[in-house]
Amino acid sequence: MNLWQAFKMAFKSIALKKTRSFLTMLGIIIGVASVVIMVSVMQGQAKKNMEYFTKMGDNKIEVYAYSYYDTENETGQKLFDYCLSLSDLIVGITPDVEISQKGSIQYGSKTIPVNDWEAFETMVSVGGGMMVSSGNAWETMLSFKLGSEQYGVCNNYTLGGGREFTYLEVEKTIPVCVLGSGAKEQLFGFTDPVGETVNINGEPFQVVGWYESMNIEYWPQKDNIVVLPYTFNRSMNRNNPIEQYVIKAKDGHATIEASTKLEAFLLGLFPLNADGWCETGSFRVGSDQSYMENAEKANLMQSLVMGAIAGISLLVGGIGIMNIMLVTVTERTREIGIRKAIGAERSSIISQFLIEAAVICSIGGLMGIGIGYVGTMIAGKLMADVFEGVILMPEPTIAIGAFLFSVVLGIIFGMYPAIKASGLQPVVALRAD
Amino acid sequence: MLIDIRDLYKIYNEGKESEVRALDGVSLQIDKGEFVAIVGQSGSGKSTMMNVLGCLDIPTYGEYYLEGTDIGSLTDKQLARIRNREIGFIFQGYNLIQELDALENVTLPLIYRGVSVFDREDIAMEALAKVGMDDRAHHRPSEMSGGQQQRVAIARAIATAPPIIMADEPTGALDSKTGRHVLEILRDLYRGGTTILLITHDDGIASTARRVVRLSDGKIISDNPQEVDWE
Repeated sequence: MNLWQAFKMAFKSIALKKTRSFLTMLGIIIGVASVVIMVSVMQGQAKKNMEYFTKMGDNKIEVYAYSYYDTENETGQKLFDYCLSLSDLIVGITPDVEISQKGSIQYGSKTIPVNDWEAFETMVSVGGGMMVSSGNAWETMLSFKLGSEQYGVCNNYTLGGGREFTYLEVEKTIPVCVLGSGAKEQLFGFTDPVGETVNINGEPFQVVGWYESMNIEYWPQKDNIVVLPYTFNRSMNRNNPIEQYVIKAKDGHATIEASTKLEAFLLGLFPLNADGWCETGSFRVGSDQSYMENAEKANLMQSLVMGAIAGISLLVGGIGIMNIMLVTVTERTREIGIRKAIGAERSSIISQFLIEAAVICSIGGLMGIGIGYVGTMIAGKLMADVFEGVILMPEPTIAIGAFLFSVVLGIIFGMYPAIKASGLQPVVALRAD
Repeated sequence: MLIDIRDLYKIYNEGKESEVRALDGVSLQIDKGEFVAIVGQSGSGKSTMMNVLGCLDIPTYGEYYLEGTDIGSLTDKQLARIRNREIGFIFQGYNLIQELDALENVTLPLIYRGVSVFDREDIAMEALAKVGMDDRAHHRPSEMSGGQQQRVAIARAIATAPPIIMADEPTGALDSKTGRHVLEILRDLYRGGTTILLITHDDGIASTARRVVRLSDGKIISDNPQEVDWE
């Protein structure tokens, strides 16, 4: 009997024993599909988590430094100078201050309150044509930020058009600004704001550039910014001390090294007394590197848990396959007896059953992968709110792995009756019922 | 000499209290073209005898030569070849594969024999025609009466044109009329030169054979030729 014949016989047998074939497939379908879906969702979430951190700015060091006796922002200057000496580790430094006063920004006929929640309320209640954007205040409220010419680099913004400030513009307190994408949209819509003049608290400022949207879910504020040179701190922020800085390091390793050095430097600026207290000010150095490490750990934990669940479902599927195959041993044993009595060789019986099991399991496995992909899409749609921006896509290696596992399992248990029964004397196999 | 068994034993649970000697030192010679009935009560060992002669079972002791070949020395593969080409089986319970239709059941031994795909359906149809079942070629066993199923089983047995047909109570599950019809087919085969081994407990059926071997408790108690008048 040739291989083609064995194939034909196997297909015939599958077609004739629909229920058994389907039940066998079902175990594989469920096993493979659930593994594919679960692993995809899990990976989507891990990706989402990491995306958040990447956008927030990896290799970013946030420094808080406050001196009790510092009115001329000397601490800031010292920090700047120190960072310059670390140029092999550090890419940029910027103050990152949010102006706490209420204000407004105006362009053409649009006047938008900035950090002014009451004005926003009035505007909404008036429902006037001056409203530029829908949604609630939390999502649209603009804020003024004070930064250096490296504000974008340090905070991981990408320029959508125009440029950053220049060093001179910052030094000379030139009235220029860079808009976050939210601010740009609210003021200019889709037109190019570069070169236009906006009035900030009544003073004209020239827009020199704008940032692409960060697209961070739950944090639209990241885009709703108007960045001004930090030298405006004196005139626009009541000369409040600048306490927040963002430092961008070259890479993960540099982040850790620079953090350590910055901490040592700041400890020199703010020495502790014998009681362990600092009498001159306070400071804190934090980097996202540590958050990221934690997040990675959390992701790993989650992967392990989900992987275990997926593995269990695969195992359950496998047991299903095993059961249905073993249940039919007697039925098949008799058939094998008949086939042997009319002259089937052991090898042709085994190859028939092998092909049969392989075909059933492969069809089931492929269906499982298909359903897994569709299920992943559906899961992605259902959880669109959670996974916004991340498209769930099954990992091919996982799909193939689950497929192979089920197929191998199915073949082993599918062949079991064949191997067992074909070795019997025909008369013994015939007696089975 | 076609079949030659010498001092054959088939013992179950040997040495234990429950020891059963299904065949207890049997010797028998059958020539080509004979029509032999092996008769005995239930438990006399006649079915075991057929299973051993048909290479469906192996004896515990003893020698079995089929056309001079020592069956005990053959491999599994060679035994399969003998079952396929030398012997056609007819069972009391028909032993058709339920999921296959009549034609497919009859085609099966031809597939195992390696008959070309172009010929085997014709050969199978011919075999079905010989037993008058060609009009039911595409019926499943469950859609046929016992007699019809047995005729399909006979067609399957003769499809490869084996020199020996072994029938184990072929009429046991049939009414007397269909039983007679089945015996008629066997007689036709005998006339065509096929060696027939008919296993039965029924003397009436045995009387159709040219030679009657009587078994009791695993031993041959008589072996007589008989003249039969086939009208």
